[in-house]
Amino acid sequence: MTRFGTGRYAALASVAATALLAGPAIGQDGGDLRMLWWGSQPRADRTFEVIDMYEEANPDVSIQGETVGWSDYWTRLATQVAGRNAPDVMQQDYRYMFEYAGRGALLDMMPYRDEILTLPGVSEESLESGMSDGKLWGVSLGVNSVAMMVNETIFEEAGVPLPENGATWEEIKQLAIEVAEKSDRIDYGVEDSSLYENSFQNWLRQRGKDLYTAEGELAFEESDVVEWYEFWADMRESGAAPPADVQALDQRSIETHMVSLGNVAMGFAHSNQLVGFSAINEDEIVMRVFPLVEGSTNEGHYFKPSQLLSVAASTEFPEVSVDFVNYFITDTEAGKVLDVERGVPISDEVRDAIRSELDEDGLAQLEYIEALDPYAGPLPPPPPQGAGEIDQMMARVGQEVAFGQLTPEEGAARLVSQAESILSR
Amino acid sequence: MSSPTEPPGYAAAAATPLIVPTGRRARLTRALGSSGAAYVFLFPWLAGFLILTAGPALYSLYLSFTDYDLINPPRWAGMDNYMRIATNDPKFQDSVRVTLTFVLLSVPLKLAVALGVAMLLNRGLRGLTIYRAIFYLPSLLGTSVAIAVLWRQLFAGDGLINNLLLGIGIQGPSWISSPDTALYTLVILAIWQFGSPMIIFLAGLRQIPVDIYEAARMDGASKARQFWRITLPMLTPVVFFNAVVQTIDAFKAFTSAFIISGGTGGPINSTLFYTLYLYQEAFGYFRMGYASALAWILLIIIALFTAFSFLSARYWVHYDD
Repeated sequence: MTRFGTGRYAALASVAATALLAGPAIGQDGGDLRMLWWGSQPRADRTFEVIDMYEEANPDVSIQGETVGWSDYWTRLATQVAGRNAPDVMQQDYRYMFEYAGRGALLDMMPYRDEILTLPGVSEESLESGMSDGKLWGVSLGVNSVAMMVNETIFEEAGVPLPENGATWEEIKQLAIEVAEKSDRIDYGVEDSSLYENSFQNWLRQRGKDLYTAEGELAFEESDVVEWYEFWADMRESGAAPPADVQALDQRSIETHMVSLGNVAMGFAHSNQLVGFSAINEDEIVMRVFPLVEGSTNEGHYFKPSQLLSVAASTEFPEVSVDFVNYFITDTEAGKVLDVERGVPISDEVRDAIRSELDEDGLAQLEYIEALDPYAGPLPPPPPQGAGEIDQMMARVGQEVAFGQLTPEEGAARLVSQAESILSR
Repeated sequence: MSSPTEPPGYAAAAATPLIVPTGRRARLTRALGSSGAAYVFLFPWLAGFLILTAGPALYSLYLSFTDYDLINPPRWAGMDNYMRIATNDPKFQDSVRVTLTFVLLSVPLKLAVALGVAMLLNRGLRGLTIYRAIFYLPSLLGTSVAIAVLWRQLFAGDGLINNLLLGIGIQGPSWISSPDTALYTLVILAIWQFGSPMIIFLAGLRQIPVDIYEAARMDGASKARQFWRITLPMLTPVVFFNAVVQTIDAFKAFTSAFIISGGTGGPINSTLFYTLYLYQEAFGYFRMGYASALAWILLIIIALFTAFSFLSARYWVHYDD
């Protein structure tokens, strides 16, 4: 033992020990939580502020926030869950949440309902979006619905009257042709929404159908899809909607949306995204309900949880995590910070508290949701496993039809057979 | 123990085998054999290889025979994943077709451009190092996210390329969002990153003895003839090396397609690189077992291509000495 004297080992050990001690503070008494969410910078700022407020009120709890974009979110969450390192509190999406719940990754919050998750001002109905089989997997962070985004500035410049709530698809088509003709800023009036599940679902629901049954099977026929594709083929041919290679620039983000790219004056998105659309577009953007089909059931829309807050089944601190969820969703001060950026809060008390403080877009969103009832039906059953994959498949088949590689009939047949194959997997 | 006066055990054992050395170091040498020192020095690399590469690779081989959704423990599925890939997966076929097209187009074109530029630079230019650096730059930047985003802008419907074309009276399509052209924008992006094969070609060109050219010129050989009869044959070992490396790289291309198509491989799977499909299966649809099977098939495809290159090499690669 001459080369490495005990002295050196001792020195090494002490360095290692120091490094350990200098690391992140370990173990607050109340709990040491992690929270993961997706979203933009403004959302991150608001969320971190609420985390700070909670920590101040509960000095023995520390919460570490992590945020990534939507496209990286599910990779991050899946790998963390697989690595037994799930965030204690996580933002969930209506579609993915039940997949995670079905795989046993989420905590049933129902047992905490009496003591911790008291949720003042929240009606029982608004919890349904986070429930299956009487178990509560997530609490809605805000209500939204699909909405038609209308570029008011383009309409005004062109001298064309704005579309109104309750307009039919046929009226929107004529309006689109007119505004595209009279405006020198756009070549087309309305985006081609044939690829998008949300628009298809709204259209189906107005015809008394839906995407999926409660049993997780398709709730529409091949003939519905044929009609849908033929309708949009007509929209493209008439010049109301852009050709496929223009529409394909859309990567399903606000930034690449046809309205934001300045290709059209009307497009389809979610009501809570108005904040994002207004931030990106210099023009004035306003919202309208989706156009109506002939003989509509008026149940195309539904009040949808924009996101939900869930707790991991693996958390070491279930009580604290659930308490934080309760705080995040029902505390009025937290609500003022969070605004309606994640959608309209489900708590009446929070809604009343923030109303006077909302800016123009926030108020527009609140009013849109409050006026939506005549066009809204019941919440559809939770989507089955594979719904996310079907959504992407629909976009691909829709493109094949739009590019003219498939006829509407061939496209419809392919969509249905592939959807059934995915569901059976 | 080993004092400064004692000769190093390893050297002693080798030089004077009759004297049996004692002490800890000598025992270590006997235990490890004569190549022991090599293993000791290799250890950092070996440990990294075993823990970070071989271990996960073997685990993925196991996963490829299972159903694994990342959350529940893997369930044994036998050959199911491989059967499905072989018989019932149109997206797999799409992705193989897209990837092969990409490899077969981008690799030869990239090598041709790299060789052309290398020959230009080999003329004894002043400021060669600067030019070399400039031409190499795209290789450093090319796989980055920023360049892929830039590419999107260049080839969009109202992008720079179409504005230039408009100047000569052509209304171009939206290159990146049309299924007929999207893949070719990615091929161009790959060709543009010709820097590293170029550097290797340049080194290869320097190795060709000048007197051969002189002799050829005396015999009246034209420039073209000199290229086909001297430069190219003398360069075949370098061409071979570049071709193998670039082919493997091209099979593994991911970032550009991921960014330009927004992760979908669209429009209509026209940019669905194999790796992108694998990524979708693994992290989009939580089918880690299936994705592992896809990964092993990619490995086999690359191995076949490489083996074919090596087998064919004896017919066209000249090692003259």
